[in-house]
Amino acid sequence: MASQKDTTGKGKILIMATENCAYPGANSVGQAHSTYPANTYIIRVRAPVLFPEQFYLDCFKKGISGIIIMSCGEECPYEGAYHALAKRIDRVYQLMKENGLDIRRLRLTSICTVCNRAFLKEVNDMNELISELGPPVLDKAA
Amino acid sequence: MSTNQEKKATGEQKKVGIYICHCGGNISDHVDVEKLAENVKDLDGVAVVHTNTFMCSDPGQELIQNDIRDGKVNRVVVASCAPSLHELTFRGAIKRAGMNPYLYEHANIREQVSWVHHGDQATEKATGLVAGAVAKALRLQPLEPIRVEARRHATVIGAGVAGLRAACDLACRGLEVALIEKSPFIGGRTASLGRLVPTGEQAEEVITQIAAKAMANDKVTIYSCTEVVGFEGFVGNFRLTLKRKPPEEPYSAAEPQKIRMDHLEKGEFLPAAGIFPGDVPDKEQEIFLETGAIVMATGFRSYVPGEGEYGYLHSDKVITLAELVELIARYPDRRGRFLQVKGKPVRRMAFIHCVGSRQIPGIHEPDQDGRLNEYCSRTCCAATLQAAVQIRSSFPETQIFDFYRDIRTYGRGQEEVYREASRQRVTFFRFEPEDPPRVQKSSGGKFPLLVSVKDTLTFGEQIDVPVDLVVLATGMEPTPIKELVEMMKLPVGADGFLQEVHPKLRPVEVANTGILLAGTCQAPMDVGEACNAAQAAAAKTTAMLARGYVELDPFVARVDPERCKGTGLCREACPIEGAIELKERQVDGKTVVQAQITPALCTGCGICVAVCPSRALDINGWTLEQYEAMVDAIVAA
Repeated sequence: MASQKDTTGKGKILIMATENCAYPGANSVGQAHSTYPANTYIIRVRAPVLFPEQFYLDCFKKGISGIIIMSCGEECPYEGAYHALAKRIDRVYQLMKENGLDIRRLRLTSICTVCNRAFLKEVNDMNELISELGPPVLDKAA
Repeated sequence: MSTNQEKKATGEQKKVGIYICHCGGNISDHVDVEKLAENVKDLDGVAVVHTNTFMCSDPGQELIQNDIRDGKVNRVVVASCAPSLHELTFRGAIKRAGMNPYLYEHANIREQVSWVHHGDQATEKATGLVAGAVAKALRLQPLEPIRVEARRHATVIGAGVAGLRAACDLACRGLEVALIEKSPFIGGRTASLGRLVPTGEQAEEVITQIAAKAMANDKVTIYSCTEVVGFEGFVGNFRLTLKRKPPEEPYSAAEPQKIRMDHLEKGEFLPAAGIFPGDVPDKEQEIFLETGAIVMATGFRSYVPGEGEYGYLHSDKVITLAELVELIARYPDRRGRFLQVKGKPVRRMAFIHCVGSRQIPGIHEPDQDGRLNEYCSRTCCAATLQAAVQIRSSFPETQIFDFYRDIRTYGRGQEEVYREASRQRVTFFRFEPEDPPRVQKSSGGKFPLLVSVKDTLTFGEQIDVPVDLVVLATGMEPTPIKELVEMMKLPVGADGFLQEVHPKLRPVEVANTGILLAGTCQAPMDVGEACNAAQAAAAKTTAMLARGYVELDPFVARVDPERCKGTGLCREACPIEGAIELKERQVDGKTVVQAQITPALCTGCGICVAVCPSRALDINGWTLEQYEAMVDAIVAA
């Protein structure tokens, strides 16, 4: 599966959006018909705390150029989940550094159900960044 | 990972059906639906691909059901609008066709594709999302909903006309009802209104009648002077903490003076305050409630014009429509040559429409939170014209000039009020939002105020009208309920009102199951519409709680006993006391310690999934393996 790289020359951005906040937030952007880069793939999650560190590294290994975690932030409906997530992401950053990955490829944000501007900014910023950085290359077998 | 388990569970080869919706052009105008179907038809496990103009329509749903009944598919992917709209619709259709409703995955190709991307890119992205959904669908397992007992008890927050109406209806259908009201009175804003459009009934009579019904019903407990300060639980089993306290300053909205409540009798109507429900607490108390559903009926407040907006606060001759209505309601004999306001005859008066409604960025000043009321408040046109007709009939020598942007007498019987106003010789002027009327104090003339406008009903003639009184038709704003919104995580629309799931398909429910909307907390409405919404919310609530149980999504953690090594890391990570426990179990004659989940306590956050070194835990319906497969599919697409 690691060989399946996208052939469009444009990196793909994976967005993990929480079903309580960011996913409806992305729908709100749709309702406003605000356009944004199409290389963005939104995956609905209950709480991104579910993903172990390795999941993120695997995504980069598979060829995903950028990941935005759009969480509920302090609004998270699950007790303790947001803080556990923030700690986990720190560890992922550590692992990314060890693997020679630019840590800006992974971004933890919180997006509310009507945060249209924030959503568009995050997506556009990440798109700009990955155009600049090109595809992810891992130093060692992660 | 659990391929064997899945095969056991379904006992047959997995056949995915993909159903792609045009959404009547909403999707197909931007996504090449036929090309999308072509792109995904050869994906692993795909048995059939169909497209339809409206997949949510009966024929669309039948398409899916027929394929299930014919044995062509045993997994369903629908590519359409946001799952919040139709995930339940399609799960329901699948269930009715005899298949497990959780063998379903949704691809959102409208809000997240066709409405934001165009051309080939849109089709490409839709292909990726559908491929991801197929990858997940292949790894879904049949699940059973968790059934929990539901209390046959409902709580209504807000005892205005909508709250009272909902409480009466709920109680009549046999539910116990707690009706919570912040003020010492019930009746809400309706208690401040005069004659109601279109019937001309006195609001006082209507609200007194509904309130009397609620007070007479044993099943309704009214908590006045009470606020909700704590909220937890879920549909069927909400737990609320209420704080009931003596009113700090018993007041009358009409005349800011203290009300002696010890003189009031139960059921007594006080103008602009409401109906006295019988008692006020003499000391603060905390009350705990267990309730099955919550109806939000927190209502609206009138827009307060900014200082100097059309002369407001700069002249006491500039008042709001709400203030005028209260003055008329308390007018001694309600007849005379001239309307008298503040002891002086009103020879000429002006109404100005759309004050605090239909505000336009760049033209109107945002409030201190930077917000503009861009919506139409809907009720003010008819209310203004009704007041004008009433004044012209009762005080025939008071002349009326009406300055409007558009007249929106939209409802049944409202246009007649407009016609009657014209017949009663109300003079109309129309203005553009960028050229609104100006209200100035006149110096020396016979009238204290001068209203000037560029009238677009003529050739743009500049008109100056000297008047005694200016009345501003102020719009509606949602009652500020920030604490409730944050505590209950209620969805709020861009206009600041509470937001329903869908304006047509689920008009009185919010996304949080078990919470419903009644009246003007949702949008500007008149009394009739608020009662409509309240009755709908009451009917929905009754239907939900009548069975005595509710079914919750089974999206909780599960342990794979073949993988669990009993490390206990999951229990350490889990924030919920008792949701994960380590239990001894006999395996091949040996005692092993393994994690065990209590589904009723598990919230399904997945914190345990990430910490298990042997990947023994997963969240039903949202497994790590499914996510990995989705990423693979997206990368490959």
